[in-house]
Amino acid sequence: MFGMTYTSLISWLLLGTVVFAADSLEYNRDVRPILAENCFACHGFDKAKREAGLRLDTMEGAVEKLDSGQVAIQPGKPEESELILRILATDDSVMPPHETGKSLTEGQKDVLRKWVSQGAQYDKHWAFIAPQKTAIPESNLAKANSTTNPIDSFVLAKLEAENLLPSAPADPITLIRRLNLDLIGLPPSVSEVDDFVLAFQHDPESARSQLVDRLLRSPNYGERWGRWWLDQARYADSNGYSVDAPRQIWKYRDWVIDALNRDLPFDQFTIEQLAGDLLPGATESQQVATGFHRNTQINQEGGIDPEQFRIDSVFDRVATTGTVWLGLTIGCAQCHDHKFDPIEQKEYYRLFAFFNNQDEPQLTIHKPEVNAPRLISEQKELEATSADIVRQATDAIALWEQSLTEEQTKSFSKEIQQLLSGDKSKRNAGQMKSLYAVGPGVTNEQFLTIQNRLKEIGSLLAEGVSTMVMKERATPRKTSVFIQGDFTRPADEVTCGTPAILPPLATGTGNLNRLDLAKWIVAPNNPLTARVIVNRVWQHYFGRGLVESENDFGLQGTSPTHPELLDWLAVHFVEQGWSLKELHRLIVHSKTYQQQSVERAELTEKDRGNYWLARQRRLRLEGEIVRDVELAACGLLSSKIGGPPVFPPIPDGVMSQGQVKREWKVSKGEDRYRRGLYTFVYRATPPPSLNVFDAPDGYSTCTRRPRSNTPLQALTLMNDASFFEFAGALEKIIQTEGLDFAFRRCVSRPPTQEELEILRSLDSLSAARALLNLDETVTRE
Amino acid sequence: MANTTFLQQQTRRHFFQQCGIGVGSIALADLMAASMQGSGAETAGNPLAPKPTHFPARAKRVIFMFMAGGPSQLDLFDHKPMLNQLNGQPIPQSYLEGKRFAFMDSSHRINLLGSRRSFQQYGQNGAWVSDLLPHTAKIVDELTFIRTCKTDLFNHAPAKLFMNTGTGQFGRPSMGAWLTYGLGSECEDLPGFVVLQSGPRGPRGGSVLWGSGMLPTTYQGVPLRNQGEPILNLTTPDSISNAQQVQVLDAVRKLNAKRLAETGDEEIATRINAYEMAYRMQSSAPELMDTNQESQETLDLYGIKDPKETSFARNCLLARRLVERGVRFVQLYHTNWDHHGGPTENLEEHLPSISREIDQSGAALVMDLKQRGLLEDTIVIWGGEFGRTPMGEVRESTGRNHHIDAFTMWFAGGGFKPGTIFGETDEFGFGPVDHSVHVRDIHATLLHQLGLNHERLTIRSQGLDFRLTGVQPAKIINEVLA
Repeated sequence: MFGMTYTSLISWLLLGTVVFAADSLEYNRDVRPILAENCFACHGFDKAKREAGLRLDTMEGAVEKLDSGQVAIQPGKPEESELILRILATDDSVMPPHETGKSLTEGQKDVLRKWVSQGAQYDKHWAFIAPQKTAIPESNLAKANSTTNPIDSFVLAKLEAENLLPSAPADPITLIRRLNLDLIGLPPSVSEVDDFVLAFQHDPESARSQLVDRLLRSPNYGERWGRWWLDQARYADSNGYSVDAPRQIWKYRDWVIDALNRDLPFDQFTIEQLAGDLLPGATESQQVATGFHRNTQINQEGGIDPEQFRIDSVFDRVATTGTVWLGLTIGCAQCHDHKFDPIEQKEYYRLFAFFNNQDEPQLTIHKPEVNAPRLISEQKELEATSADIVRQATDAIALWEQSLTEEQTKSFSKEIQQLLSGDKSKRNAGQMKSLYAVGPGVTNEQFLTIQNRLKEIGSLLAEGVSTMVMKERATPRKTSVFIQGDFTRPADEVTCGTPAILPPLATGTGNLNRLDLAKWIVAPNNPLTARVIVNRVWQHYFGRGLVESENDFGLQGTSPTHPELLDWLAVHFVEQGWSLKELHRLIVHSKTYQQQSVERAELTEKDRGNYWLARQRRLRLEGEIVRDVELAACGLLSSKIGGPPVFPPIPDGVMSQGQVKREWKVSKGEDRYRRGLYTFVYRATPPPSLNVFDAPDGYSTCTRRPRSNTPLQALTLMNDASFFEFAGALEKIIQTEGLDFAFRRCVSRPPTQEELEILRSLDSLSAARALLNLDETVTRE
Repeated sequence: MANTTFLQQQTRRHFFQQCGIGVGSIALADLMAASMQGSGAETAGNPLAPKPTHFPARAKRVIFMFMAGGPSQLDLFDHKPMLNQLNGQPIPQSYLEGKRFAFMDSSHRINLLGSRRSFQQYGQNGAWVSDLLPHTAKIVDELTFIRTCKTDLFNHAPAKLFMNTGTGQFGRPSMGAWLTYGLGSECEDLPGFVVLQSGPRGPRGGSVLWGSGMLPTTYQGVPLRNQGEPILNLTTPDSISNAQQVQVLDAVRKLNAKRLAETGDEEIATRINAYEMAYRMQSSAPELMDTNQESQETLDLYGIKDPKETSFARNCLLARRLVERGVRFVQLYHTNWDHHGGPTENLEEHLPSISREIDQSGAALVMDLKQRGLLEDTIVIWGGEFGRTPMGEVRESTGRNHHIDAFTMWFAGGGFKPGTIFGETDEFGFGPVDHSVHVRDIHATLLHQLGLNHERLTIRSQGLDFRLTGVQPAKIINEVLA
């Protein structure tokens, strides 16, 4: 259909440019990427950097008569369009200029020339137009595969157009392992595999449904997908910068796990995290949720200007909100108008204003059975009564004091002795109480009961756990545009507002605040949020989003490979009440998801990067899941969910790498064997065995983890004391249950005869170590 | 070592003969990897394979002696008699307008502080060096001084990030990561980017200073630790014999190769390579750290008293051993140069002692490299994240505040013009009177010497082409190049 050559296909896919032999060009698909890559930096949205007064990102700008008297684009007349003359120039007037290091290919020049001759039609950037469900496409492939899942219809239609065939479905063992790892981040047990295989032979459809239902109900689902969200929330357990002191904010982590487990609709999930404190009658849980934006660093270095770093954390909040929900590089407009996307610097500071108006307190959380407000008022009452009793006993205390023998005096604590020998007229209420408690009070039943109750209340309240939250200030701070993003150079004052390119914010009464912003982000007419989130979930299952630049849906981002599918999913997601679990269910039930991941020779040639999804893809597990899988395989894994972060063993000397040496007291009991997401993370000295597998360090939002493959990973799995300990546990399983069984605990499938022979030639500990080092063990296939 | 060779041969033979993916597809992978350089695509095959430069290079590797905390150029290199004349008097207000300093609220002082050091001129060009650095003074004819270095940020962690990554923001690749990304590594047994540390504490900022940012983690710096194992998990567990270790590796390789044949996933090939390199590192890294082979003469040259003890001197020697083995970028952090005054960090006591810690060995490294013919294509850098103010901070004892407008760094080897003094500061050493050299100019110049165009060495992320020198113009400082 497109008549593309392999080379041009690759260059389009990978470099964001395309060569079409076809006659009809689309601005967003064919032209904009070329202009964005080569022209917009100097002829785009940023007024300050615009050269020769020329703006090429809008039709109005492109056809305007320039100071030089020339016109960049004369629609329909390439030979009179300066743009075309300049890109074809062979002398120094050529565009883009030599010094930019950029140049256009012949194909790209051809596209621009054709586009101008066809009338230079501009379209609004796709991501700023609200998604709409198009008709589900029909194709012979879809018919042949009796497709019912819309995802498959879209993917197969594309495959058919590309003249590619989908891969066969994965075998049931690969499938259960894939589903387990993707949905709960843990491998299936051997008996779960056996049961599934049996059920699958009987009725594949219902076996799959039941498995998916069970996994989505599992509390481990919230752990696995919680970590997905915590990456984006830049969660870690320390303050960052150079001092990097520990902080306590794990209640927020547990909130995320819990919210995902109860499938809190994503719009509500968003509102509570961005503005839970502003909801009417905000619950404790909704306040804890605002920890999302407390995951910024805090600089405790000496000699700093605290305001500078407060502003830095607000910058981070604006950038993170833009990246996580809108898929926009809003942070680029901190110092100047955005060079590629239509976001003015002033608009950036209007967003900034939403986040410039809060205090950053701690909230103490008590167990559900502890009613803290009631206890605190009871405590107050009791203390008052107790004080009354002591006050009325002034004479009794004096009498008691006079009656004391020297021996009796010596039997009291140092503190009491000091009080007794000190100036009587200077005793305060507390000291009088202390004396009464050891003196006349010992026989006062009422006083004693009160003291016991006070002690009880005190210890109940002390059990509370603090967590970092947001709290809106009563009087807003003023917000100004900062020249060059420098907070010492404030310019025009601005108020809260959202970028003009996106639908307007529904204005209520009074001043705008974060709650308005949060509602705007998840408003049904926001063209970005649902697309961005759906894409980021998709990325998890296929190793790449439908939009590859998962954090940039702007003009510089990559175009979606399956735009209609992306839009269909986004609309469907909102229609299903923003239910993430329903989205997961839809994706994992697709045949596209369930395909085999093996490479096929003809695919390697036609679609090396697997953009058209004619197969699944093997994906190395995330750092935390590498740990989880190995712990599960060797039987040591603790099933405890939530709670304070833990300190599994780490190599000596790791904690002295930062400026301040931090203590790492290894956790005892089952806390030694908790899932990776519970490991305490110091930002400046992240746990090496997670870090080496690309776990983010929490300095800034992470919307996609790299998947590196390094010798340091090999050293970790081979020699790290923890992994060696796991091998010891797996060795025992080999000895008691056999090599075959241990093999299945690691990779789910049974070994071949050849594989068994290789392993049998080793002693059992070596066999266990080999199993835990297999590429397959740490990979989702 | 015999085992290593065996492993290598087996693996390679297996790839090409038994794995069912032909030489063709491997070659294609390499080709793709090479053509993707700088375009930000994931590379297949060995991401650390040597890559072609943009143009012929003058240098192949870098040793950066990072003086963490910000050394006082006014007490070491930038001699300002006027400071002593006006000691105790306020600096003219015109110097301060529009400037910001660290510790603004508590100890912002505007009175000039004379240097207590005695200065002399050395070498053919009469480079000024204070009495604190007698060994450095002897080799000034090998060095290129830039006295007008300029950075943008004046707090430690952000400024260190700036010197290393060209920005104060987290999440950008460091210089060493850029170099191994751009040039690959010429060492098969050791990482291409190695970090060594000495001094009382680690540098502020920690691992982000040698991070890979948006580049794959393959390119991040590997800190050789100063106690215990030089690389984490380098030692086979105690109870495991070398024979057992080799057996495990051999079985893992065979099983992985089977999976590679079944799935055709090239990541498995990369993993097999990674295990080979890991095993080689198990022997090459201890060999690297074992300085027993060095002559007493060499140890004396560097001033190493106890070769087992971590010191800047030992790290200098290790740096030479690393570049000898083809490591691309070696960074030596030495703390603590943060001399504000006060009982633990003042100019009277602590500046002289830390200067002693680095003087002899830093000079020895340059001369040792020269002697071995390595200086020609190795760039040696000396400097911190910023300099210090001409105004004093007088606490119980004297010190100076952080200063970003003009500070001194020196360079040697790798095509830098020896015996050069570049950039002049005003009478107080506050700002440049000519040739301000911004951190990004230094970055552009370094990349240039290594055969890389700083505008072409890019990584695509979030729709932008990021580079070490950022978006502001950067210039190559031709005047300091031979």
